[in-house]
Amino acid sequence: MAVLSLERVSYVYGEGTPFEIKALDDVSLTVREGSVTGIIGHTGSGKSTLVQLFNGLEKPQGGRVLLDGKDIWAEPKKMRDIRFRVGLVMQYPEYQLFEETIAADIAFGPRNMGLDEAEIGARVAEAAAFVGLSPDVLDKSPFDLSGGQKRRAAIAGVMAMRPEILVLDEPAAGLDPRGRDTILQGICAYGKKTGATVIIVSHSMEDMATYCDDIVVMANAGVVLSGTRDEVFAKAEILTSVGLDVPQITQLCLLLRKQGVALPEGIYTTEAAITALAKILG
Amino acid sequence: MREPFIHAKDLRYAYTDENGLKQPVLQGLTLDIAKGEYVAILGHNGSGKSTFAKLLNMILEPDSGELVVAGHDLMSEDLTEEDFYALRREVGMVFQNPDNQLVATIVEEDVAFGPENLGVPTAEIRTRVDAALAAVGMTEYARHEPHRLSGGQKQRVAIAGVLAMEPACMLLDEATAMLDPKGRREVIESVEKLNREKGITVLMITHYMNEAARADRVIVMDDGVILMDGTPREVFANPRILQEAGLDVPQCTALVHALREKGIPLDGEPVNAEECAALLLGLLEDK
Repeated sequence: MAVLSLERVSYVYGEGTPFEIKALDDVSLTVREGSVTGIIGHTGSGKSTLVQLFNGLEKPQGGRVLLDGKDIWAEPKKMRDIRFRVGLVMQYPEYQLFEETIAADIAFGPRNMGLDEAEIGARVAEAAAFVGLSPDVLDKSPFDLSGGQKRRAAIAGVMAMRPEILVLDEPAAGLDPRGRDTILQGICAYGKKTGATVIIVSHSMEDMATYCDDIVVMANAGVVLSGTRDEVFAKAEILTSVGLDVPQITQLCLLLRKQGVALPEGIYTTEAAITALAKILG
Repeated sequence: MREPFIHAKDLRYAYTDENGLKQPVLQGLTLDIAKGEYVAILGHNGSGKSTFAKLLNMILEPDSGELVVAGHDLMSEDLTEEDFYALRREVGMVFQNPDNQLVATIVEEDVAFGPENLGVPTAEIRTRVDAALAAVGMTEYARHEPHRLSGGQKQRVAIAGVLAMEPACMLLDEATAMLDPKGRREVIESVEKLNREKGITVLMITHYMNEAARADRVIVMDDGVILMDGTPREVFANPRILQEAGLDVPQCTALVHALREKGIPLDGEPVNAEECAALLLGLLEDK
């Protein structure tokens, strides 16, 4: 079932000025409840505009944004509730930490929701555990943490509000391989454990291949491809044609298939390639 | 042997944390880099890569050991202020965040900032700026505002700014980390061209294994020392060691290793899809 959907949404920056840019042009898409959905596209494809529409930070100039079938702009005064239900983690959220301790920073969201102290404490501990922050880090100042730890603290701050839909814009950008895996695994664990829907915006097809159930591919202000991970990777040629980098393993399979090797379509992980190639070569 | 461009021996550096305790970062790093090399430096966060880079143009000073860069002995008592400025000119740095390193409101003025500060004559600045922008393919943006450029374009402007100081060496500290695949390609291609055509020594710190695979030499750092040093092929031939150091190998390298473990006779260490396809097709033909 679709928990979040866009119906023919359009968004233009600087309308009527010489700098007019169409960020989204008649975009329709649906996100399945409980899924981990990846949104991928190169810079300027409209990804970041899209996520800001999801929780009403931006208002579409055309079309509707539906949460559980209801237009989120039907009652603009209730937008605060929408923002509690759809949690948004922006790019480089570590720059947004402002409290004296990590625990206080993570507690900021739940406190704004009017929860009692015991519940806030429980939520802070739970969120910190999801992102793999140890309890001794919680009393430290954000200044004493590494970049990766700060990123995880910022994500925990949104998780602590327990949003039904967690939206993250490039959560792994700029991290080393281990830091990237810790964060993405924590995000997926949050979805699995709470039943929340997770939406991850990324440049990395390899991360999408590892972590996402469904994938939406954006290009030129529109959706060029969407579906389950298998469906999307089966059309790897379209991905390369819109300037996206497919995983090296998918590139390899495309090359081999072109030379007549009988590999199935849609191989996107090293494990799948090992199995398929071992069969052919063994 | 020719004198290396960078010579480091038993290099040590520790920073002091908030409790006044010494936290060692570099713990006896020994390394020589020749002029004109194209070197990728890998290592997880905290392995000391960035610290090492910052020692090379004296943003930080080493605690002990030997460090000679571009003929300047950085540990010498006799190091003059002139040496210091010469070093900063010869070893240019490009950082991660494109928004943090552009200072002017027009692209060409930003590129001119370095040479202006060096006191280069005006006519010469004009020549250098034009050449630098051409080298990174940004000529048509000379009069644009930097904040309207894409991330990859901004990084190329930052590179042009370094280039206009006519450096012998360029350090890129995760300069592609905040860019999308297209921006990354633009930056890498610009840097490779400078290395190839102008013989500029390139040290590139990166987390992207596919980028490292393109360099002539890959150095892997772990806990402030060098864990591995060799061609990409030699380094990626050890996926276990890399994974223990918190790093990946290119997917194709991992694939070939796994197939070999299954008893499939594959000779060679492909680091990209083309090499890997050729290797596999070769084996299929023999069958």
